[in-house]
Amino acid sequence: MAAGELLNVRGTVESVATAISGLTAQYTIGMTRYWPQQEAFASGMAALVTEVVMGTVVFATIMTTILALLWTERKFFGRIMDRRGATTAFRSLWVGEGGDDATIRWWDDLPFGIGKPFGSVHGWLNKHYGNAHELETVNRVGNRSYHGAWWALPGMIQNVADGMKFMTKEHMVPEKADRFIFELAPVIIISTTVLVFAFIPLGPTLYAANSELSLLFMMAIFGIAPLGVFFAGWSSNNKYTLIGGMRSAAQLTAYEIPLLITVLAVAVLSGSFNLIEIVEFQAASSSGAVWNLFLMPLGAVLFLVTMIAEVERIPFDMPEAEAELVEGWWTEYGGMRWGLMFASEYLRAYAACLLFALMFLGGWEAPFEDVLIGLPMVGGLFGTIFYIIPHTGWLLIKSWLVFAGFVWVRSALHRVRTDQILEFGWRYLLPLSLLNLALAFWLRLAVFDDGPWPLMVPIFITTIAVVLFMILVMDEDEEALEAQRRPYSVQSTSVASPGAGKE
Amino acid sequence: MAEMWISMGPQHPMTHGLWTLKVKVDGETVVDTEPDLGYIHRGVEKICEARDFTQITTYCDRLCYASANTWSHSYIYAAEDLMGVEVPERAEYIRLIATELQRIASHLMWLGAYCPDIGNLTGLVWCLRERELMMDLLQELGGSRMHYNFPRIGGVKRDLPHGFAQRCKVKLDIFLDRIQEYEALLDESTIFLIRTQGVGYAKAADQINHGVTGPNVRAAGHNYDVRWAHPYSVYDEIDWTPSLERPSIKGADCYDRYRVRVEEMRESAKMVMQSLEQIPGGANTYHDPGDPAILAKAPSRAKDGETGFHHYEDSRGESMFYLVGGGEGRGKMPYRVSIRSPMFITIPYASKCMIGYKIADIPAIMGSFDPCIGETDR
Repeated sequence: MAAGELLNVRGTVESVATAISGLTAQYTIGMTRYWPQQEAFASGMAALVTEVVMGTVVFATIMTTILALLWTERKFFGRIMDRRGATTAFRSLWVGEGGDDATIRWWDDLPFGIGKPFGSVHGWLNKHYGNAHELETVNRVGNRSYHGAWWALPGMIQNVADGMKFMTKEHMVPEKADRFIFELAPVIIISTTVLVFAFIPLGPTLYAANSELSLLFMMAIFGIAPLGVFFAGWSSNNKYTLIGGMRSAAQLTAYEIPLLITVLAVAVLSGSFNLIEIVEFQAASSSGAVWNLFLMPLGAVLFLVTMIAEVERIPFDMPEAEAELVEGWWTEYGGMRWGLMFASEYLRAYAACLLFALMFLGGWEAPFEDVLIGLPMVGGLFGTIFYIIPHTGWLLIKSWLVFAGFVWVRSALHRVRTDQILEFGWRYLLPLSLLNLALAFWLRLAVFDDGPWPLMVPIFITTIAVVLFMILVMDEDEEALEAQRRPYSVQSTSVASPGAGKE
Repeated sequence: MAEMWISMGPQHPMTHGLWTLKVKVDGETVVDTEPDLGYIHRGVEKICEARDFTQITTYCDRLCYASANTWSHSYIYAAEDLMGVEVPERAEYIRLIATELQRIASHLMWLGAYCPDIGNLTGLVWCLRERELMMDLLQELGGSRMHYNFPRIGGVKRDLPHGFAQRCKVKLDIFLDRIQEYEALLDESTIFLIRTQGVGYAKAADQINHGVTGPNVRAAGHNYDVRWAHPYSVYDEIDWTPSLERPSIKGADCYDRYRVRVEEMRESAKMVMQSLEQIPGGANTYHDPGDPAILAKAPSRAKDGETGFHHYEDSRGESMFYLVGGGEGRGKMPYRVSIRSPMFITIPYASKCMIGYKIADIPAIMGSFDPCIGETDR
C-alpha cells in the first residue's frame, strides 16, 4: 500500500470501543470490588463492540451503494437496448433523456464558463453519434421523451416503491408444499448472501472481519445459496420450480469447480488466502504493484464467466429461465420473501463484482497510484490526494464498472441451455482453469522471487492475452465471415413448385 | 426423474397468446406433447353471419393482432370473388404496399418476441423500434395504429397521402440499414447459433403432409408462396422472388426459419419500394376517398348459392376465406363464412417437432414457427 488512509474507520471504531469498554469495566463492577479479569473483560468487550459496529458500517455501505447497481441495471440496460448501442447509452448517462439534443444544458449554468468543455463534447457526440433525424416520426422512435429534471434521480424512487409493494403483499404458501422447507429456503439464501459481506474488505480500514482464510470461507458460503435454491424448488410442489431447482443443482457442478480452481490460482499467485493480503500483494511497492489482471488474464476471464453463472445472470440463468419455466425456482414465492431473494440476487452480483475488483483489479488501490506517488516533482501532491480520498471509493467504482460489464453481457447474449452449460463447464472451463492454475504455480515458483515483478512479465503476458483475444474476436476474412453468418445461404430459384411462377 | 406432464398455459410466457401446451418430460427431455387450442375461441365465423359484408372487415382485422391488414385483405379478396368486382389497378398497388408493410411489421413482431424466448431482451426493443416506423406508415394509410380497416370491397379506403412515398422510402431505407443490426446481434452471436441451429428439425415433406405453409415451409426448401405460385394481386407485375432457405437433410431448423423471415422482410421492403415506382398515376397523386381510381363500385348483396373463395399469403402461411352468399337481409349478410387459419394447422405440427429436444427448446421451437393465437382460435 503506497498511500495511507486519512479516514481510519476501523482504527477509530477500535479506539472508541476500547475507551468505552475500559471505562465501563472500571466504573461498573470495578468500582465496587476487586476484579482480576477487568482488563480481559475490557478488551473482549472492545473487540465485540468493534465487530458489531464494523459489521453494521459495512452492511450499511453495501446497502446504500447497491443502489448504484440497480441504477445501472435499469438505466444502462435500458439505454443499451434503446438506440444505437453502447455509445448513446454511455452518453445518456450524463446528457439526459433527450437523444438528439440536450434537453437540459446544465453546463451553461455553471459559473465562469467551466462547463464549456461538456458542451463541446456533447455537441461533438451529437454530431457524430446522435439520433437526430429529419423525419419527425423517426425521431420519435429514436429518442425517448424528455422527462424533465428527473434525469438526475433516475428511477431511485422506484426501488422504494417496489419495496413497499413487496411488504404489503400477502405471503402465500402453496397447498401441499413442504411448509418448513419452503420457509427455510429464503432464510438460507438470504442469510448466506449477507454473510458473504462479512469477509469482503471494502477498504484498508473498512472491513467487518479479517480472518486468515477469508477467501476460502467466503467461497464456501457463496456455494451454499444454490442449495437453498434447490430446497426452494423442491418444496414448492410445483413442476416449474422443481425443474428450476434441478437445473440449479446440475449447473452448480459445472461452474463451481472451475470457479474454485481459479480462486485457488489467485491464492497461489498472491501467496495468501486472505483477501486483504491479496489486495496488498497487488498494491504493494515491494511486489511491483502489478494487478493480478495483468498477470493472469485467463484467470480473470474464467472468474468472470463462472461468477456470472454463480449469480445466475444471463446467459447462465437457466434456473429462472422465464421463457419456459415462468420464473423458475422462485415461481411460488411472493411478497417480501420474493423481494428479499431478489435483493439477495443483486447482493450476490455485487459480491461477485467486488471479488473481481479485489482479486484482479487491485482492490482499493487507485489506478497507477504507485507510479503517480513515485513521480519526482508532483509525487508528494498525489500522495496527499490519495491520502485524503478514501480508498473505498476506488473499490466501489471498480466493482460498478464490472457490474456494467455484467449488464452489457446481459443485453448482448442469449440464454444457453442446461446441457450446453454442462458441456461448456466440463469441456472448456475445467481444463482452462487447470491450465490457469499451472500458470499461476509457474509464475509464483519460477518467476517471482519475493522482490518486485520484473516489468516485462505483466507486459509480456498482457500482450499475449490481447493478441489472442484479437485473433479470437476479429474475423479477418470477410468471405469466411459471410459464410459463417449464413451457413445455409439463401437461394432464389425460379424452378418453383407447384406452380412455376408467372404465367 | 420420472416422467411427468407439465401443463404450459394458458398463461405462459412460451405461448405467445392464450393456449395450453401439455408437455410430457423425462427430466429435461421432452417425450410427448399435446396442444390444447381453443382458449380464446370467439366464434368469428358465426359472428360474421350476422354482419353485412362491410362490417366483416373489422372482424377480420382482429383475427391477428400482429398482422391485421393481411387478414382483412384476405377476406376482401374472397368477398370480391363472391361479388365479381373488378378492382382498379391503383387500388391493387396500394393494397400491396399496405400488406407488405404489414408483413414487415408482423415479422418484426415475431423476431421481437423470439429474442426473449431465448433470453435476450435487446432484440425485442430493437425490433419494436422499427415496427413503430411501419406502424406509423400504416397509420397514415388506415388511420389507426393496429386495426386499420383499410380495404374496401372494390378498392381501398383512402389513397396514399401526400408525401407518403418519400416518407416510406426513407423509413424503409432506415429499416434495411438496421436489419443488419439484428444480424449483428443474432447471427454473429455463438449462443444464438447454438440455441437455434440443429434444433426443431422440420422436413418439407412432413410439413406438406400436415398442411403447413408460409415461411415455415419455405424455410424447409419448398418454394410454395401463394404470391408466387398463384399470383393474385399485382404480384406478377413486380420483380421479386420468394425468399427460400436450403435446409440440411434433416429438414429446417429454427435458424432456417429465422433466416427466411429476415430475408422475407428485405424482399417485402423491396416490393414496396418497387410498387411505389410502378403505381399507376404515380405515388404522389392523391384521389379523394371513393374516387373510381381507387374504389370500384360494388354491390352490397350477394345472391343465394353464390360462393366466393380466395387463398392468400398471410404473414404466417396460406390463409383461405370461403364465403357463401344469400344470408340474412336478402343476401346482405353472408350465409356462411369459413376461415382457414395457417397457424391452426402449424401449431399441432410444431408441437410434434419438439419431441426429443430439451425443455429449454420448447420456446425456441414454438417461437420459430411464429404462432398467433388470435387467428388460430378465431
